[in-house]
Amino acid sequence: MMKTKLGRLALDSPLTVASGTFGMEYFEIMNAMGAPILPQDKLGAYICKTITPLPKAGNPPPRIYETECGMLNSIGLPNPGLQSFIAEELPILLERLSIPLIVSFSGGSVDEFCMMLETLEKAEGIAGYEINVSCPNVENEGIAFGADSDVLYQLISRLAPLTNKELIVKLSPNVTDIGRMAQAAEAGGASSISLINTLWGMAIDWQTGKARIPRKVCGYSGKGIKPVALALTYQAAQAVSLPILAMGGISCWQDALEFIYAGASAVAVGTSNFTDPSAPAKIYDGLLEHLKAKGSGIKDLIGTVS
Amino acid sequence: MIWLKTLPIVHAQRLNAQYTVLTVEDKDLAAASHPGMFCELRAPNQEGRQFKPISIYGVEGTRVSFFIKRVGFGTKALCALQVGDTLELMGPLGNRFPVFAGKKALLVSGGVGYPPLAWLKANLPDGTTAIHLHGGASAEDIFACDFCCTMDGSQGHMGLVTDLVLPLIQEHGINLIYSCGPVGMLKKLTELSGNIPHFVSMEAYMACGVGVCHGCVIPVGDGFQRVCKEGAVFDAKLIDWGQL
Repeated sequence: MMKTKLGRLALDSPLTVASGTFGMEYFEIMNAMGAPILPQDKLGAYICKTITPLPKAGNPPPRIYETECGMLNSIGLPNPGLQSFIAEELPILLERLSIPLIVSFSGGSVDEFCMMLETLEKAEGIAGYEINVSCPNVENEGIAFGADSDVLYQLISRLAPLTNKELIVKLSPNVTDIGRMAQAAEAGGASSISLINTLWGMAIDWQTGKARIPRKVCGYSGKGIKPVALALTYQAAQAVSLPILAMGGISCWQDALEFIYAGASAVAVGTSNFTDPSAPAKIYDGLLEHLKAKGSGIKDLIGTVS
Repeated sequence: MIWLKTLPIVHAQRLNAQYTVLTVEDKDLAAASHPGMFCELRAPNQEGRQFKPISIYGVEGTRVSFFIKRVGFGTKALCALQVGDTLELMGPLGNRFPVFAGKKALLVSGGVGYPPLAWLKANLPDGTTAIHLHGGASAEDIFACDFCCTMDGSQGHMGLVTDLVLPLIQEHGINLIYSCGPVGMLKKLTELSGNIPHFVSMEAYMACGVGVCHGCVIPVGDGFQRVCKEGAVFDAKLIDWGQL
């Protein structure tokens, strides 16, 4: 009933966690509490925080600001870099995970992306990759490849021949035509797409005239972006036959179901993890109960919005 | 051990229009809490809203108190809670103030930086004496302490707490400083503290509170450290104050 497919990956559950929103610190809490916050039988896969070729410290603070219906962030992809990830974090992740691990990564040039993928291919235990071409908070990585369909096609067509594992391209919502970007990913050889990364957002302190985040324009996520994410999921689903991993403001099982109707084969919980790390498990339970009552499986409902 | 719990409020005390003390009862939380630690708190019916990081104000038996200032949406909702209402809590979080025996400590707080130092003062090891210097905008921001300052002169010395720091250090032979308050105050205090060991509890906007989101970092050494995970208490001399 909850089984689904994301390209080359058969998933036992349509639910996963968005990159960067469910770090291993939650695993520690989960272990300490005895009661699992991340019940792995309820998640189809785990997506780790984005890795870049070299270590990155991230952006100067303040990096986050809560708004009326969501949050702004300018984290800037802090990560230990590829070599440390493979040597230190990957073994721990693999030891703790009983579900497929999808490694999110980004780079500053086509060659860097290719080097990342070739290096990760040599490591064992990775089930797939999410190519982050949509982080709005860094200058050189990612978004430079996710804003132009020709550039995206060039990148993906170089990456696709390097792996037989799941190759997800994470798209930015900050483009004129999401359908064209999805088509470029498909033509390049991606096996699925994920969307949306954060929207452009901004907050200003009216008392001082200062931007709340030093970078001024940054990423907006959370409840407020759901209608935008749903529309883009629907438009992308209309444009390509690739399966879609959808996310954007999902906080309850009803939200997740709406994305499935819009065309998603799987869904990710992101910002909601910060307000309730047990949200993914609750969403799974609610969705399963609903499907049982309805007598349908996930696969029967994907893209059936009328 | 970090707990995620929904707990009833057993005591709610409105100190004035700005500040409220809320108390919950939980033996696990009480046993694991130490001065300098904080919890992520959220009022009920705040769906989609984030938790707010609030310092632990004190532990008595199995009761844990939080001293909250009304600032934004989340803290206003917390301050409106009554006895019998519940709050969602994740904690205790962060590290604790390091303590040393046989010291003469100066505790310096500003505004809502008051609670962690008030609790620390009551929990210093035997033989360590402490003077608590506290400041705020006006008398409404002043609570029990040894010396106080207000910007408007409505209580204590008119001016900044940092005006009084050097004389207190000299007069009392201070050889340890703890602080919590606005960045400007902490920066100045770090300059004034010279070679005296100085531990500061930092405040930051937070999302997850447990180290996942990297949203609450401050510049420390040649990189960044998370206030929620590596802090909230830092050695003041390791913080790159110029970047804050």
